Amino acid sequence: MKRDKIRTGTVLRLLAFAVLLAFLLAPDRFAGLLTPLTNNGAPAIYNQGTLLDLTLSHLFTVGLSTVAAAIVAIGLAIFVTRPAGAEFLALSRAIVNIGQTFPPVAVLALSVPIMGFGEGPTRMALFLYGLLPIFENTLVGLSTLPPAVVETASAMGMTGRQRLLKVELPLAMPLIVEGIRLSTVIGLATATIGSTVAAKGLGEVIVAGLLSNNLAFIVQGGVITGVLAVLISDGFEALAHRMAKRRGASSEARQSDPDGQGSSA
Amino acid sequence: MIELSHLTKVYGDTAVVNDVNMEIEAGTITVIVGTSGSGKSTLLRMVNRLVEPTEGRVFLEGNDVSTMPPHELRRSIGYAIQNHGLFPHWTVARNIATVPMLLGWDRRKVDARVEELMELFQLDHAQFANRYPHELSGGQQQRVGVARAMAAKPALLLMDEPFGALDPIIRSKAQTDLKAIQRRTGTTILLVTHDMAEAVHLGDRIAVMDGGLLKQYAPAADILARPADAFVDDLIGSADRPFRYLTLGRVRAAVEPGVAEGAPLAADASLYEGLGELLWSGRDAAPVIDDAGAPLGRVSLVGIAERAARPK
Repeated sequence: MKRDKIRTGTVLRLLAFAVLLAFLLAPDRFAGLLTPLTNNGAPAIYNQGTLLDLTLSHLFTVGLSTVAAAIVAIGLAIFVTRPAGAEFLALSRAIVNIGQTFPPVAVLALSVPIMGFGEGPTRMALFLYGLLPIFENTLVGLSTLPPAVVETASAMGMTGRQRLLKVELPLAMPLIVEGIRLSTVIGLATATIGSTVAAKGLGEVIVAGLLSNNLAFIVQGGVITGVLAVLISDGFEALAHRMAKRRGASSEARQSDPDGQGSSA
Repeated sequence: MIELSHLTKVYGDTAVVNDVNMEIEAGTITVIVGTSGSGKSTLLRMVNRLVEPTEGRVFLEGNDVSTMPPHELRRSIGYAIQNHGLFPHWTVARNIATVPMLLGWDRRKVDARVEELMELFQLDHAQFANRYPHELSGGQQQRVGVARAMAAKPALLLMDEPFGALDPIIRSKAQTDLKAIQRRTGTTILLVTHDMAEAVHLGDRIAVMDGGLLKQYAPAADILARPADAFVDDLIGSADRPFRYLTLGRVRAAVEPGVAEGAPLAADASLYEGLGELLWSGRDAAPVIDDAGAPLGRVSLVGIAERAARPK
């Protein structure tokens, strides 16, 4: 039963990916589908640049910002979970929270005078916006490890660094991946506003549609972004699931002791 | 040999371990027994410096452990705990190989050692080596935990309630197996438990702790026969005492000449098991045979009862 469900899901995803790819490679073939959404003989397919190029720069902008956010957020979470960095936990949380609560539009507006128009402000906004989910998830992952496992790692003679790299990070990895997934998905959607400051991306298509009152543009820009977000999100989810599954449906195995009879107490 | 000298650990205003002095002979099993909060686990953890003493010193073979880098010290000491602490993302083989890998043994030597240990702990290599801890039963996980602790052939093995999470039948077998393995390898074992029966079963010597103080440290028979104070007496349980005492003796010691009816007893069975068998089968006496099955004589209820009385 369950396996059939997974298979159906995989087939649907592959299908979505194939359609997306076909659309990006040869958008004109789909013009017929979108023409009903246009007025006054306006073009059905965005024509100020190829959709493939825009999609790739959109992905590149999100990828770059998320990688940077992941490096900083994971690094920070590791630091504040070490004895030496414990006192910086509250401060780091505050900083990361500000990054999240500060609206990306405001970040764009503030960074344009400094960084100029283009991708720079968008990357900055996405970076700040992406810190929180990764930081919080890494923090939870590293601070909720089974105490017995962490203690044994030390008791076996691992140095702090070996314990982190061999035990703590691998065990926290499913949660960290989940954090990166959240940041990526948020970033994919948020990156569209970068077009207001001339960043190359799918937002350009949506903005052009809004300006020229062309629903076809808005729909294609929105749908491409949405399908990308769903596919990438699913990819990360599958990765996190696989990691967790290998160690035994982690959370359940961690918390309960299936063979303890409670008779020893 | 391990020497604990004036070992003290203070948390806030409470001394959880208070001026403990002990000498532990190499190649023996010493069991520290006490109620929860008695300081027994803290005492154990000061040996491999998971806890740093407030005062006092621990000497291993004459070397002060506080002068050794903690990670190197710990690689030379085995450690096994109640919930086994197996690394859930590593296979059984990789778990057992933890310390040898940290010590940088070469691959072939590590593999050979893992196979040897899995055989010693009755875990089929082909079947279990590549499984993950969650795919094992509680008893198997516990054996992997002890195998891992012994992987780099440490001279000393620290065990904190290693059998606490097992059901009674598996626990009893695990205790017997541990004792047999210890006799074979000559490893010095320092084991913490709250279970006096386990302490008597396993310990060459027993240390009783209460409120951070070492109340009594003596061979098991002495603890049972001459408890140092009311607390030790309570821990043994006055009704259980003669039976505990019988678990220390072998049927062989109570053999008397003569014959008896019914199923024979093995000479190496404990007097406790012998008594149980006699009572349950409603006999006054039973024949005794040695390992080879040759008759040695008989053992009687009266003979066993004499050995359950307080030693003069």
